[in-house]
Amino acid sequence: MSSSKFYAAESSSDTEDSSSSDDDETPVTTSRSKPTTQRVYLLSDDEVETQRVVRSGKEKRWEGLQDIIKLMQNARKIRDMSRLADEFDNLCKLYVKSKNVILKEGIPRFYTRNLVETEDYINELWQDKEFRKKTSKLNSKALGSIRQKLRKYLRDFETQVADYRANPDVDEKPGEGADQDDSDEESEGEKETVQDIDTFLSSPIRSAPVVDPKAQYDDDDDDDDSWLNDSDSFTDESDEGEAGGKQLTADYFLKKVKDDGGEKAKKKDRQRDTKSKKKDEDWEEVKRVGKAKVTLFDKDTEITHVVVLKKLSEIILNRGRRSTVRKEQVDLLKQLRQVAEDNDLGPAMAIRITFDLVSAYFDYNSKILDCMKSEPWNDVLQFVEEVLDSLEEHPDIAIGENISQESENVADKAAGYRLNGSPVVMVEKLHSEYIKILQNSDAHSTEYVKHLREESRVINIINKLRRHVERIGSSQNICNTYMLMVEYVYYKYDHKAVLQDVVPGDKVESTESQETSSDVMKNLCQYIYTKDSSDRLRTRAILHHIYHHCLHDRWYEARDLMLMSHLQETIHFSDVPTQIIYNRTMVQLGLCAFRRGLMKEAHNALVDIQSTGRAKELLAQGLLLQRQGERISPEQEKVEKRRQIPFHMHINLELLECVYLVSAMLLEIPYVAAHEFDARRRMISKQFHHQLRVSERQSLLGPPDNMREHVVAAAKALKMGDFRACLRFVINDKMNNKVWNLFNNKEGVVKMLETKIKEESLCTYLFTYSQFYDNISLDWFASMFELDRASCHRIISRLIINEELSASWDEPSSSLVLHRTDPTRLQNMAIQLGEKVSTLVDINERILEARAGGGGFQNYRQDQGYQGNRYQGNRGTGNYSSNRSGGYQGNRGSGYQGQRSGYQGNRGGGGYHGGYGDSYGGYRKDGYKAR
Amino acid sequence: MEANSQETSVKNIQIDGLVVLRIIKHCEEDSGGPELVQGVLLGLVVGDTLEITNCFPFPRTNETSDFDEVQYQMDMMRSLRHVNIDHLHVGWYQSSNHGNFINRAFLDSQFSYQSAIEESIVLIFDPIKTSQGYLSLKAYRLTPKMMEMYKAKHFSYESVKKEGLAFNDIYEEVPIRVKNSPLINMLLLKLKKENPIPEKVEYLNLSHSSSLERQLHLMMSSVDEVTQEGGKFVQYQRSAAKQHQNKLLHVQRRQTENAARTQRGEPPLPEEDASKLFKPVPQPPRIDALLAAGQVSAYCDKVCHYSSQTLGRIFMAQALDNKD
Repeated sequence: MSSSKFYAAESSSDTEDSSSSDDDETPVTTSRSKPTTQRVYLLSDDEVETQRVVRSGKEKRWEGLQDIIKLMQNARKIRDMSRLADEFDNLCKLYVKSKNVILKEGIPRFYTRNLVETEDYINELWQDKEFRKKTSKLNSKALGSIRQKLRKYLRDFETQVADYRANPDVDEKPGEGADQDDSDEESEGEKETVQDIDTFLSSPIRSAPVVDPKAQYDDDDDDDDSWLNDSDSFTDESDEGEAGGKQLTADYFLKKVKDDGGEKAKKKDRQRDTKSKKKDEDWEEVKRVGKAKVTLFDKDTEITHVVVLKKLSEIILNRGRRSTVRKEQVDLLKQLRQVAEDNDLGPAMAIRITFDLVSAYFDYNSKILDCMKSEPWNDVLQFVEEVLDSLEEHPDIAIGENISQESENVADKAAGYRLNGSPVVMVEKLHSEYIKILQNSDAHSTEYVKHLREESRVINIINKLRRHVERIGSSQNICNTYMLMVEYVYYKYDHKAVLQDVVPGDKVESTESQETSSDVMKNLCQYIYTKDSSDRLRTRAILHHIYHHCLHDRWYEARDLMLMSHLQETIHFSDVPTQIIYNRTMVQLGLCAFRRGLMKEAHNALVDIQSTGRAKELLAQGLLLQRQGERISPEQEKVEKRRQIPFHMHINLELLECVYLVSAMLLEIPYVAAHEFDARRRMISKQFHHQLRVSERQSLLGPPDNMREHVVAAAKALKMGDFRACLRFVINDKMNNKVWNLFNNKEGVVKMLETKIKEESLCTYLFTYSQFYDNISLDWFASMFELDRASCHRIISRLIINEELSASWDEPSSSLVLHRTDPTRLQNMAIQLGEKVSTLVDINERILEARAGGGGFQNYRQDQGYQGNRYQGNRGTGNYSSNRSGGYQGNRGSGYQGQRSGYQGNRGGGGYHGGYGDSYGGYRKDGYKAR
Repeated sequence: MEANSQETSVKNIQIDGLVVLRIIKHCEEDSGGPELVQGVLLGLVVGDTLEITNCFPFPRTNETSDFDEVQYQMDMMRSLRHVNIDHLHVGWYQSSNHGNFINRAFLDSQFSYQSAIEESIVLIFDPIKTSQGYLSLKAYRLTPKMMEMYKAKHFSYESVKKEGLAFNDIYEEVPIRVKNSPLINMLLLKLKKENPIPEKVEYLNLSHSSSLERQLHLMMSSVDEVTQEGGKFVQYQRSAAKQHQNKLLHVQRRQTENAARTQRGEPPLPEEDASKLFKPVPQPPRIDALLAAGQVSAYCDKVCHYSSQTLGRIFMAQALDNKD
């Protein structure tokens, strides 16, 4: 308050009163209390924050009123009566709307003033016969009507008007002063500097040189409140008379130059007593003159912490305004920084300003999708580096989010610097900006590579940050920092790490010295696992860790980590970016399993991603503009765009699909061969079947061209047990180029594939053609499938043990003796029919249940025969294979095959088919023998 | 023509050899694909015997041509009459593979025949079986019960129940007898003498499975159909029960409300709309289920018959084998 009084005493010359100051909190009853605009507050001191929130409703109203008043002033100026009348109507309406606020706050002073001024103006015009004659009919008509209206309207405000007329000046002073205090350098600044020495203690009424409104507009076009003030002062001038409007410019600048010279000397003297002279300093601060050159301080302003801070907060407060030119903000901050540096204000101040500078840079783009241009980006990198460097250099600076702005200390070194802000957040922002830059540049251009080179800088920064937070940061901060590091490490293949895995004991010394990325990942992630309090970070760390494991073929570690984390169950509740990471990790898991030759695991890991046919989208490696036939909305598209993974981190989709299809092929083809006639056969991979069907549908089948066709052709060859053709299709130059070369250890993968294909084609062959053999020698297998005898023995034995093949080894002759157990087509059909009938019975029972209330037939059936129950029981039990060998098959087994070896024979255990089977089996044996 | 009004007027059917041969010829010539061939039977009723003395095929037509079948039949019959052949319409014949003839179309046309000419029958001829060495020619007609039902055009659950119609009551088989005139018999004897049948006969064809497979296949699809119908019925039952419950609830509520109103002295609300509010759930027509079930049973009979024959042959073959 004191400050405003101070100013009130000094500079009341301006007639404006529309904007006002903090003293609005004084009770409303007094007529001098005037509401303020939000803007003025923004420029004032620390307590602003709270007040602004509280009074926003009122301020909004006031602002609206003032806007209209401004328009009215404009209309008056150009003597546009109809416009004036319109605006007056609007004003009245808004006034009624704001009644609530007005009741609470009293009629705003500026409102009364406006009324009085308008009245005067209209009366004047009314007297001006010549004008009435000259002007258009419309105008004069409007003049008449507004005169009437105003008269009527003023009756309600008689007291206020009278009050105002009684002392128009006195009321204005406090508001005026405060206003200037706040917006000093904005609109009044120039005038003040020019004059302040002269008028410092002189008459309160200033004979201010009238400023050309246009010039002022030019000056302050980046600032809202200055504009408001401008227009206020500008109306004042119009009140005073338009004639005065032109007298200025040359004069004004002349004066200033002269004064500046005079001032310099005085300033120098004052340089020491900074604190006490704070207000004066504020006065002296002058912003820019003209648009081209922007200066922060007057040349002779003494640069102190306080001044700079004040300036800084001013600039910062303009942040986010629509009219703020972001570029200018950045420039201002840069200058400020330079000034601070020149004046040696200490590292804390530099950091403080740089912080804000960096955030101003991040604000640079209004659109969320746009990224920084390379120039500011380089600046930002540099600034961030500097901040972190100086933080390292000056360990005495305490910085943190928990330090409030009020308790900041940038000046006093002895008391210890304290700063508000978080370098972690800053670097995180930097990281996301970097990602954005990568997203926005064309992945196949040199520009992308250029950006990619900056990665080392970013990593460097993160490392600096890491050192910083490890020194003083909280554990959560450290977690965040580590996470950032992990983000840059996890997707990179490290040869050294692989080497280390391969030869763990060998040359331990040499590997120990250089830390591999696996070690880095391990250390970082383990810290996050133990210390992180937010689940999200831990989840991501785990996923990245798994990803890294997978990349280096550490399948079991990766799998165990995945299983231990139980992420499969909870991932659906997490946010989309994390889900994307999860998808990427699962894909890597699948690829890793594939490289290790674990087809089933590979298939299982990939099936979720591949079966949807939206792998691209699920991995955030490209936009699908169509979803289920309809285009996604633009908003959706924007959201998706932001989630995209930068190109250099992509997982090759063709590789992914190929791996999936090949693994599906190796699983599916033997399965199909084994269960050719099974009614309940299930598809392992829908997509694979789809591909097969697509190729079957083609009337003319050319040689395979793309990857899919190759796999399908290979599958067909595999079906026939022709492993050579299969191999030829899977591994050839084309596929090498497209797929297999993308693996790190291509040779290993290809070798693995070869053996896999041989093995599976052996299985398929056995399933398909075993019925035509009585016995097969092991050597023959070995030569046919180019496998060694041991592995043939292993594979076939596995089939026998799993009861997939009914055969036995004849060791002395080392040959496989096949037992004919496969049902004929007819038998298979009979089985199917039996199943169908049993469902029919079920349905019938349901009908009867409803009719007879659950009694009746069921009981009857239970008495009558146990067949139904037996069916049911068998169907219900266990998994598929055991089911198969139970039930029908089992019975058949005992029936047909008396001589079936041990454990198999025991399974059957009678049944209603038994008797029939016996005779049937007998017939078959004998009959065929005869032939 | 002594058309008897009694249902059981025709007890057996006598078919001329000529008719049999003509039907076989028609089927052989025409059964290029899975389509059925059809034709008209001509003859007359003598006492309780229906004598079928002639027939002519329907020409194969495609859907698009506007061939007038009725006109064709009339013309044909008129022409036959001119050459003094029996021209009375006594039914129709149809080829069928493995007896898959029981369906809606069959029912419709047989009904229209039987309602126009009471003694009409349908001859079902199985070319596949015939080619294997058994002449498969069966005469069927709809049971009177079925006729009644069909006339009413209403196959609801209740009506079926009332009539006591089961799936094996849809049609009945009429025994047939192939008769040749003495002249033809003499000709045959003569022919036999002149060209004796070669001694080697394949009595014991053991390749049974493909035919059986096909029959099983057909049976499966029929069973599926029955299951489907059963499912529909379950659905119906459920919704009907629900409906019923809702209705009861509504009536009850209305009653209590009315009771309250009378207590207060207000006029009671009308009771009319319960049945209007709750439209009865449309019943699934039972006829499809019946037909499907009938078809299944027909297949079963056939399979049973077929496999017993086959088993017989197998045992015979075994015996012969052992002898060697």
